[in-house]
Amino acid sequence: MIQWYAETLLRYGVVAAAIVGVMLLTYRGLRAAGVRREAATGFTLILPWFLGFLIWNLFPLAASLYLSLTNYNILQTPEWVGLANYQKLIGEDQQFWASLRLTLAYAALTVPLGLALSLLAATLLNQGVRGVGVWRTVYYLPAVLPAFVTALLWRLMLLPTQSGLVNTATEPIWSLFGDKGPRWFLDPNTVLWGFVIMSFWGVFGANTVIMLAGLKNIPKDLYDAAEVDGAGLAAKFRHITIPQLTPTLFYLLIMGIIAGVQIFDQGLFVRVPRENFLNVYLYTQGFTFFNMGYASAIGWLMLVIILVMTLAVFRSSQAWVYYEGDVRR
Amino acid sequence: MSAPTIPVPGEGRELRSSRGRLRQTLSKAPIYVLLSLGAAFALIPFVWMVSTALKTPGQLFKFPPEWIPNPVAWTNFAEAWTALPFGAMVLNSVFVTTLAMVGELCSAAIVAYGFARFQFRFRNALFLLMLSTMMLPWVVTLIPSFLIWKQAGLINTFDPLTVGALFAWGPFYIFLLRQFFLGVSRDIEEAAIIDGANALQVLWYVMLPLVRPVLLAVAVLSFQGNWNNFRGALIYLQEPLTRFTLPLGLQFFQATLSAGEAPRWHLMMAMSSLMVIPVMILFFLAQRQFIEGIQLGGVKG
Amino acid sequence: MNTRSMRLAGLTAAMSLLITACGAAESTPSGSASSPSGSAPPTGQAPAEKVTFRLTTWAGEGEAAELQELVLDKINASQDEFEIIHEAAPADYYTKLQTALAGGTGADFMWLSQEYVAGYASRGALLDLTEPLAGIDSAVANVDRYFPDVMQTALYQDRVYGLPWISQPIVLYYNPELFDAAGIAYPDATWDWDTFAETAEALTKDTDGDGTPDQYGFSANGWPPVHMFIWQAGGEVITPDLKSSPIDSPEAIAGAEFYKRLIFNAACCPTEDTIAEQGFSEMFKAGTVAMFMGGASDTFESADGEALDIRAAVVPMGPESRTTFAWTGSTVVNATVENPELAVKALVALTEGIQRWKIVSPNMDLATADVILASFPEKWQAQKSQQVDAILEATKDMRSFNVIPRQQEWDDLFWREFQDLLYHDQGTASDLAAAARANLEALLP
Repeated sequence: MIQWYAETLLRYGVVAAAIVGVMLLTYRGLRAAGVRREAATGFTLILPWFLGFLIWNLFPLAASLYLSLTNYNILQTPEWVGLANYQKLIGEDQQFWASLRLTLAYAALTVPLGLALSLLAATLLNQGVRGVGVWRTVYYLPAVLPAFVTALLWRLMLLPTQSGLVNTATEPIWSLFGDKGPRWFLDPNTVLWGFVIMSFWGVFGANTVIMLAGLKNIPKDLYDAAEVDGAGLAAKFRHITIPQLTPTLFYLLIMGIIAGVQIFDQGLFVRVPRENFLNVYLYTQGFTFFNMGYASAIGWLMLVIILVMTLAVFRSSQAWVYYEGDVRR
Repeated sequence: MSAPTIPVPGEGRELRSSRGRLRQTLSKAPIYVLLSLGAAFALIPFVWMVSTALKTPGQLFKFPPEWIPNPVAWTNFAEAWTALPFGAMVLNSVFVTTLAMVGELCSAAIVAYGFARFQFRFRNALFLLMLSTMMLPWVVTLIPSFLIWKQAGLINTFDPLTVGALFAWGPFYIFLLRQFFLGVSRDIEEAAIIDGANALQVLWYVMLPLVRPVLLAVAVLSFQGNWNNFRGALIYLQEPLTRFTLPLGLQFFQATLSAGEAPRWHLMMAMSSLMVIPVMILFFLAQRQFIEGIQLGGVKG
Repeated sequence: MNTRSMRLAGLTAAMSLLITACGAAESTPSGSASSPSGSAPPTGQAPAEKVTFRLTTWAGEGEAAELQELVLDKINASQDEFEIIHEAAPADYYTKLQTALAGGTGADFMWLSQEYVAGYASRGALLDLTEPLAGIDSAVANVDRYFPDVMQTALYQDRVYGLPWISQPIVLYYNPELFDAAGIAYPDATWDWDTFAETAEALTKDTDGDGTPDQYGFSANGWPPVHMFIWQAGGEVITPDLKSSPIDSPEAIAGAEFYKRLIFNAACCPTEDTIAEQGFSEMFKAGTVAMFMGGASDTFESADGEALDIRAAVVPMGPESRTTFAWTGSTVVNATVENPELAVKALVALTEGIQRWKIVSPNMDLATADVILASFPEKWQAQKSQQVDAILEATKDMRSFNVIPRQQEWDDLFWREFQDLLYHDQGTASDLAAAARANLEALLP
């Protein structure tokens, strides 16, 4: 075992040194080529990522794009088909469209809701309550549990029978309508809502931690100054907290979109009655049906969709995101 | 007993007088209520997990479900631990997580600083490119990535799980740090530069301390992400069992495809319960730093 | 401080490290320390090295330990030519398998469940075993000694691509206590579909008077496969020549409609919601369901871990036959294996070991009561002894699917456009079958 560690450690150290070496080289080279200092420094600083991109991302990006234009069954060489996969997806594949609708609806519902809930939770966890450390740790606990634990738990909680906690707890509401309550994951019409409720679970996790970090980053003296001016809680929240928080909100919004559209694990654990999420459909096409070329096409369509949404948010950010450090454009 | 300080929302300062403390606690009652509700919710799956970890196989799917098994099978922990070489797996997990975490943190901080504070050609395009790498589903890039590592001859080693971290393989963290760097006022930074500090010195002595909360968040998230990384381990580690990391080892307790073999949930939950502990400890330690928040003064002009 | 020379030194160091890094990376061997798979030792070396073959399976912790102890250790100890090592992939098995194959790091032997052999064989990933097997003198290598309807899942275009290591016929398990309490005779070979359905209904009772049954006669949720009933009615979902999917034939419809009469029908079986709540096989073990169709190696224990008194009978007779479904899996050989002759020899030894370990062996010579009972630990001896006669009887009528290369897509379609709709009352069997047939047949080779 030590041998395995030693081997990896050696290569790890060598690669780290190599990256540093390349960075030094690049900086000197850029400066020698007359690039001004700020630009040279900036580019050199992002070099670790850029090198990584060239090595680890460029080939997979290019390869997957190429594969999307082929029939590739993984076991044999790909066979060129041009745009046939895309044509079939967009023109004929009912399952794709159903899946797309489900996925986009899911993202549209859960991203804003998740942001709001995370903000609420983070604000609560930011109050000077006793034993706040314990509270925060408890709130973070669900995030570290294995995914199948929470999936199993949700399957149980959303059972449409008596033992399903959610339906039993909300029974008065349903009986008003003379109904027994939605069947959640067992009914194709309510599956989306089941997943939305399940997504509330995400509040106990990374998003809240990040939101909390964002709250903690707001300088105290801003609040002090506002207090002196006689501002109340609501005013402080609206005029200090939120604006200071917008960089964090911007981040969580974009990451929420990227992650939401690519939702995968939850779709696997729950036996979904009809269409599943796009990423699961993609996975099935690629690894179960031997249609990796087709799956790659789905993947690239997903990328385009996410990219368009992200760009829209970027465009809008000039209007509502406030950076203390004055982003120079 | 000094004069009571003005309570500021969002801060943890408590009043010095005991009567004031009681009043303040009561005024926070609704907060406690909300917190408790959420906490109860948060604890349910954990309680369920531990409860399952203490059941015998026959009790697992008893209906109606029991929360407190009777009898309590403490031996499950020992049985799970000895069923597979978990001692080796823990060491492997620690090794992989530490290397990956350090790599991620260092490289993400450097790259984020570059994107946040420096103007250079194609910067925005490159940033968008970086984000785009997160938008292609993993299924589609799995095989090409595998081929790259195969070419390097590093399948069945720990490298695919660690070395890539040096290249800031998590745009997730770069983006986050960049956001926080952008929120730092330029004054201190410019003062340091005038004093002759180079970029890395500014980063280390000025920027990072100012964004400590998010650094800790990144540290916790990075630890968690690598500690629980299952898919990477599955694809790149072949054999022997002593090479596996914890999440992969855990999967052995799952149902197999052969009909008739029941999943060994109780053992799986026992190991899962143990796996959770290091992350929670790290989180508890890190979040304590969230108490103070950033330094006063000197930040705004 | 001479930053310039320091930088230069750093640069040189980095460059040389970079070069060594590339060199080191390429010369590092992948995989374990043992010699590359299947290669013969170079001539001239004094002790001949054992050839190492890698076997990949989906075995979980208990099964993997058994595989190692009961099968692999014995094989490896008993001869000098080769050694089989086990690489387990207990989750996402096919994802890992395909990635490895695509990357050229696939194992030499692989487990495939029956629906996959045709798919992998037709795509050139598997070694054709027909000739090599013919040259080995052993019952396990003799394709004719296998139950033909099971063996055919390992064939593709009449060539052999794998050796099955198990064939689990479905039998009708039943809970004698519930039968005794109701005063109904146990299932036996005289039962037909009607007897079965009527008994199931008779055993479905509302014992506490709350309007919903508390005890059910039978339970189905897609398992057992509806194909079994279609076969029993004389129909086919994919014909043996793989040229058509006559799911709208009168026989097939009869089978589907009989299944529809059972599944989720509260008169005899638990509803979908109840199954989701209480667990499919768990209900049978808890004594809430009187009859259960399961594979031959199923074991049943109570909540306290005691082996239950569960008996078995053959499945009821359909209009045409008593055909029962047999789950089977095969071990296949990677087409790129070096040293194919030795590999096939090792495969035969491996398969024999597994066939003795798993029941029921698909090899007729090993499908005996002794072998079956020997493969169960002490705890299950009493339970299995009561069931072994029915199991052996069932092997006479067992068969598996006719598998096409695009089987997974076919199965998905068959569920989505026919079964799912039928069981949820979205149409009649005839209409749905007629509508789905064209799409299904489009997937046939």
